[in-house]
Amino acid sequence: MTFWLHLVTLGVLASLGGALWRVWRGPSPADRMMAAQLVGTGGVAVLMLLAPLRDWAALDVALALALLAALAAVGFVKATSPDGAGDPEETAPGNPAGRDGNGEGDG
Amino acid sequence: MADLATVLLTAAGLCFFLAGTAGVIRFPDIHSRLHALTKADNLGLGFIAVGVALQAESWAQVARLGLIWALALLAAGTVAQLVARAALTDRAAAPDGAKRGSRR
Amino acid sequence: MAAATTQAALHRFALFGAVWIVLTSAEPGGMLAGALAVPAAVWMSLRLLPARRPVVLLRLALHAPRFLYGSVAGGVDVARRAFSPSMPLDPGWIAVPVDLPDAGRVALGAELSLMPGTLAAGTQGDRLLVHLLDCKAGFDAAIPQEAAAMAEILAVAPPPRSS
Repeated sequence: MTFWLHLVTLGVLASLGGALWRVWRGPSPADRMMAAQLVGTGGVAVLMLLAPLRDWAALDVALALALLAALAAVGFVKATSPDGAGDPEETAPGNPAGRDGNGEGDG
Repeated sequence: MADLATVLLTAAGLCFFLAGTAGVIRFPDIHSRLHALTKADNLGLGFIAVGVALQAESWAQVARLGLIWALALLAAGTVAQLVARAALTDRAAAPDGAKRGSRR
Repeated sequence: MAAATTQAALHRFALFGAVWIVLTSAEPGGMLAGALAVPAAVWMSLRLLPARRPVVLLRLALHAPRFLYGSVAGGVDVARRAFSPSMPLDPGWIAVPVDLPDAGRVALGAELSLMPGTLAAGTQGDRLLVHLLDCKAGFDAAIPQEAAAMAEILAVAPPPRSS
């Protein structure tokens, strides 16, 4: 069982590597944030898989990581919404009021 | 028996993680990639949580695994909407130019 | 209105209490801190998200199996597309009119984002913007059903138009 859990952990880590490729390539900031979110979920999975091998304390770390990953994404959206602080619902889509990131291609 | 179930469930979880990453790498636009990320990853996390729960020694560990998954699910559903919205305002991928019009 | 607040406070007290018990593994030493932390969390949540209308917990519980099935189907569907060499995608947008309060729309959007082929991206006026992974697969057929289920959970009047 120990061997198997390590094997699955390696597999999840490999899939995180793929997500990091997307963080690297982008192209848009939202792509990078999304892939970072995947790294967060994968990190939670890795901690879950390793928990039975130690003393289950890793679950507390997993809980904290799940919380932080969610807050990081909310922080990203708050920071990139056009007025810099507001709710994304405030701006109608299709009217990017002076946003940066134009001209970046689509993958 | 529990060990066999753990092996099968964690293997399924790993498959969904790999699928999520494959989608995030292969899918052509950001909103399609968000589909892959949100759905596949949380399903993978769910399978892994159930698989690991079968190895747990106490109810508290099972409950904690459930709490983590519930939190991840809630966060994924909310964050997917927020990032999808941010990507819309970001690149003016306006739905006005959508393939299909709005429906009633 | 006061009744709704009382009911919401009780629900949230039970929810946060359960979370606290899980976090502390029900150790006796954690109960005293919990006796302070849980009421504080209930008070703060009522300030940040005041109770407007009661949530029908029975409806919510009855809806859970369908949501679980839908999210499994959604994961399987997207995994199949991601692994398929031809990668069958036909992404596009639709705007669906949804007669729900704001919180209900957000909850519906979160749910749809985990169901097969749909991804909510906020609202445009009173419509929910939904991204479809495959316009030809008929994923949008599930949206009115989910909206109706959400309306039942929130105990709001059913939408006037029959869809």
